Amino acid sequence: MKNQEIKYIDGVPVARLQDYGYRDFSILHKIWKVVSTILVYIVIFLVYLSVLIIAVKSFNADTAQSEFTKFTFDHYINMFKDASLSYAISNTFKISLVATIVSTVAGTLIAVGIHYLFGKKRQYIMMLNNIPLLNADIVTGISIMLIFSIVMRIPGLQYIFGFPTMLVAHVYFCLPYVILNVLPKLKEIDPNMMDAALDLGLKPHKALIKVIVPAIKSGIFAGLIFAFTMSFDDFVISYYTTGNGFNNLSIWIYSSIGRKSLKPQVYAFSTVITFGAMALLLIANFLSSRKEVKHGKKK
Amino acid sequence: MNKKFARLSTPYLYWLYILALFPALFMFVLMFLDIPEGLDVSNGLKFTLDNFKQLTEPSTLIAFGNSFLYAFIATILSIVFGYLVAFRLFRSKFKNKFLVLVILILPMWTNILLRTESLAGFLNSNGNVVLSLFGIESADFDLLGTPFAVIFGLFVTYVPFMVMPIFNSLEKIDKSIEEAALDLGLTHTQKFFKVILPMSSKGIVTGSIMVFLPCLSGFAIPEILGRGNIVLIGNVIEASFKNMSYTIGSLLAVIILVVILLSIFVVSKIDKEGETLL
Repeated sequence: MKNQEIKYIDGVPVARLQDYGYRDFSILHKIWKVVSTILVYIVIFLVYLSVLIIAVKSFNADTAQSEFTKFTFDHYINMFKDASLSYAISNTFKISLVATIVSTVAGTLIAVGIHYLFGKKRQYIMMLNNIPLLNADIVTGISIMLIFSIVMRIPGLQYIFGFPTMLVAHVYFCLPYVILNVLPKLKEIDPNMMDAALDLGLKPHKALIKVIVPAIKSGIFAGLIFAFTMSFDDFVISYYTTGNGFNNLSIWIYSSIGRKSLKPQVYAFSTVITFGAMALLLIANFLSSRKEVKHGKKK
Repeated sequence: MNKKFARLSTPYLYWLYILALFPALFMFVLMFLDIPEGLDVSNGLKFTLDNFKQLTEPSTLIAFGNSFLYAFIATILSIVFGYLVAFRLFRSKFKNKFLVLVILILPMWTNILLRTESLAGFLNSNGNVVLSLFGIESADFDLLGTPFAVIFGLFVTYVPFMVMPIFNSLEKIDKSIEEAALDLGLTHTQKFFKVILPMSSKGIVTGSIMVFLPCLSGFAIPEILGRGNIVLIGNVIEASFKNMSYTIGSLLAVIILVVILLSIFVVSKIDKEGETLL
């Protein structure tokens, strides 16, 4: 620092930024930016690693999946040829779709209810609402199984295990996701809007459908996506609430892994679902952003 | 008027009583009962403390220790890398950041068991489809059954759940606060540690709970990636219910439940409305 040459402009010494104690970290910032970007991509890659491996397996002709023998589309063509797999897939969709619809509708109504609660009561129900969300899958699964093993003792209900029990369980853990997605949107609504609707003569339930629901539809949609994702991916809770020969995809996969007899078509099915969903999302995003450009909206 | 709408939430309260609170009480009672098999009470009800002997068994203790250790390591890794991803995403110029978050949870559309099984195939050179695709034949490694495999599996499966809440809490920080910090003479690094990090700590806490709890209690990932060498508490609970010893299973489940209730309590203290979870 001592030997620094003093800069002169028109014969007058001029101090530099460094003389005021400024230290230039811009190079460090650049290095950090590059390193952290690489790390971010590595993390995203790791999250997708298993999905990519499944995609590779789905194109592999080797049924045992122990080495990559030949590139093939056979598994995609024969996707639904295996009876046990198709049965499991159709059950998965049945459960997930019904559970998603029920929990989206019920969850929206419950969220509206919670929105009009205040103070202690609201805190209490929000705390209880966290239980299905945070509770361990295994504890939730066992809890619901225990309830239904009591219900089962009621004459005429001994065959209740299967679709009905699994559906109740799925609705149970999907509801909080819908509620938590809808509530923040309800907060954003202008409270006067509801009063205006009622003043103009709408019945409360009509006002709910015509005023509130359109205002919170993005939250409802997000809740719906969450609920479907959770229901579709669930294994542990389904595992404990199934019975009487009813199985969904995850239970089918679990028993296939146990028997080391995983059919390769399941890789094809998973690849189609995951990348199909991704494509749909990207297309929807592309369309909505184009719409915004058209209408001159800027955000 | 408001009261009428508020009533919409009442059925949900009963629903939660029946499906969440009642079974917890039921398990609490079960752990004091002497029932040799399932829920068979034909021999009458007898109270006993014998079930608690299971807790002093070395196998149970090891399972508990492993569960907490692995869940802890996976959570720390998730905080570090999840924060990094959330922060870079928050600062990025992407127009639709929500889309990126959704893409991060999209792997969940592939079944969790299938994903874990694929990872298992990848962590083992024997019969490794990916290596064979790239023509690597000479590799010889087998990471299955090691702690690394289990922690790796837990991390890649649950890190997206860390990114979401951290990102949400970052988005809530007022831009003008950051400007104020810079105006008052903080460097960018200081600004991050003194302003941004404390203000997003809510997201870190909720995210940690979202990652820690499933890591602690899951049984599929340790079963597939641990190859039986590594037993976590979820595996012990699963085995007890499979062997029809509901009482011991309930006891262990109640312990997990207590940990979870403590976490729920923490969440409700930090976040009174309970709304940063997503």
